Amino acid sequence: MKINPAFVTKVLCAFIREELHRFGYKKGIIGLSGGLDSSVCAFLACRALGPDNVIGLVLPYKDTFSQEVKDARLVARHLGFSCRVIDIAPMVDAYFSRYPTKNKVQVGNKMARERMSILYDFSARERALILGTSNKTELLLGYGTIHGDMACAINPLGDLYKTQIWELAEYLGVPERIRAKTPTAGLWPGQTDEGEIGLRYAEIDRILFELVDRRQSPKAVIAAGFPKTSVEKIVSLIQNSEFKRKMPPIAKISSRSVGHDFLYPYDRHK
Amino acid sequence: MVESPHPFLGHNFLLAILRKYGNFHSMKIALAQVAPRLGDMSRNFELHRQFIDKAKKNKADLIVFPELSLTGYTLMDLVPEVALNPTQSALFRRLLALSRGIDIVLGFVEEKEPGLFYNSAAYLSREQILHLHRKVFLPTFGMFEEAKFFAQGRIFRTFLSPFGRAGLLICRDFLSLGAGYILLAGGAELIVVISAAPGRGMSEEDDFATSRMWELMGEALSFFSTSFVIYTNRVGFEDGKAFAGGSFIFNPRGNLVARASTLDEELLLAEVNLEEVRSARKAWPFKRDDRPELVLESLARIVRHDED
Repeated sequence: MKINPAFVTKVLCAFIREELHRFGYKKGIIGLSGGLDSSVCAFLACRALGPDNVIGLVLPYKDTFSQEVKDARLVARHLGFSCRVIDIAPMVDAYFSRYPTKNKVQVGNKMARERMSILYDFSARERALILGTSNKTELLLGYGTIHGDMACAINPLGDLYKTQIWELAEYLGVPERIRAKTPTAGLWPGQTDEGEIGLRYAEIDRILFELVDRRQSPKAVIAAGFPKTSVEKIVSLIQNSEFKRKMPPIAKISSRSVGHDFLYPYDRHK
Repeated sequence: MVESPHPFLGHNFLLAILRKYGNFHSMKIALAQVAPRLGDMSRNFELHRQFIDKAKKNKADLIVFPELSLTGYTLMDLVPEVALNPTQSALFRRLLALSRGIDIVLGFVEEKEPGLFYNSAAYLSREQILHLHRKVFLPTFGMFEEAKFFAQGRIFRTFLSPFGRAGLLICRDFLSLGAGYILLAGGAELIVVISAAPGRGMSEEDDFATSRMWELMGEALSFFSTSFVIYTNRVGFEDGKAFAGGSFIFNPRGNLVARASTLDEELLLAEVNLEEVRSARKAWPFKRDDRPELVLESLARIVRHDED
């Protein structure tokens, strides 16, 4: 599971640069949470495109995440790219004042989609493509909001596990205080990923690596010494989140259907 | 178009004479580790022209482009749009014109007959197509879906190039022990491989795990066939796939002659001595001791009994 962070950085920077330039874009835009993934993404983007071509958007709800805003600004200052803070409270409150709910996850998802909506608007305003920050662990477990934080134009981090992103962060020089933070999706104050999933990232990633990269059966992974309850939980999270990793199914009734046998590459040149 | 039917009157006869009496022992090879643009043939023609010019300026005798160098790799439903028949295509005539003064190996989508599309490689020399190879092993698993879009080639064979007997392989063909063996049995002295291999698998090494796989085969096949192995892989990204580069040349003793960088576009130039085939075969008579008739008989038996 170990990576060579210098090599990974080279590959990911080339990816960011090529993907943007081939579609005629110079700039990338990133939703900054003050956490590990978006900070690493910003470090990669600045290396690939130069800080003048990176835009950060910090999208807090009122002042519930004031430390996160400070950390996001710290990253922007450290790298020298421009960063803007927009409070999403007026939009989110306007909605929930009409359709109130006590469900914290529902509120968190709505906020994630509000941030997506602003990012896409700024993508158009600034002619900048959105760089995604969902890592492989989140994508496999479905630990993200569909059409929310999972939405992006390109995703440089989607094939790296969370623990590998920590390795990368250290190499890139992401400030210690960000690397030391407990990961949180920021759905509500005090929430932590590991608390909500009920497993530690170190364990999750090792199990995912066996199941996915090494193509081991759950039975074999348990036999190799991983706790049965952890393996079963992870398998069930993967299975129940397939819809977040796919385009929605289309009823295929014509002689040639989009996504099925109308197949063109994403990267086609005009 | 491929080999002259009359051995004493054709192009090959002249080549054999040239080879025998000319000073052809030293050969400069150029590996064009490029990033073609997906579906953009005129841009890719320009890319070929530039690299051929550069190779000619460096006095290279042969330039090798990667698999599907004229079209890009992840074509899917673009395959029919970029397909051409080399005997009728104006673009191919322009490519042939570039083969004055340098031999060229490149990859393209061949429409051999209407509606039949092949992932093909062509060897161009002195404005002629000396040889065409249609990819036999079309990877269709995991991230690959070639058999969905391409017809399968049916044969591996060698041909006479100005630099000795040669064989062409395309990417996955090279990973077949059978294909390598047929070229050995067919007398190949040069095995030219064109590739579009994405890098997969991370470790603490500063390269993809798959790069080692290609080199392993290059090393093994060059040593055991006592031939040169010339491998050009592409670079650049398509739909998130990172083509890894790492093009290389192994000599007939299994030694690495030159290796291109991982991921970066470059023209790698290397000089080889064609006499090394002879000296390697004096030391290791694998070719002399080969028994294709015995292999054929054993294979026939396996094929006959391979019905479940």
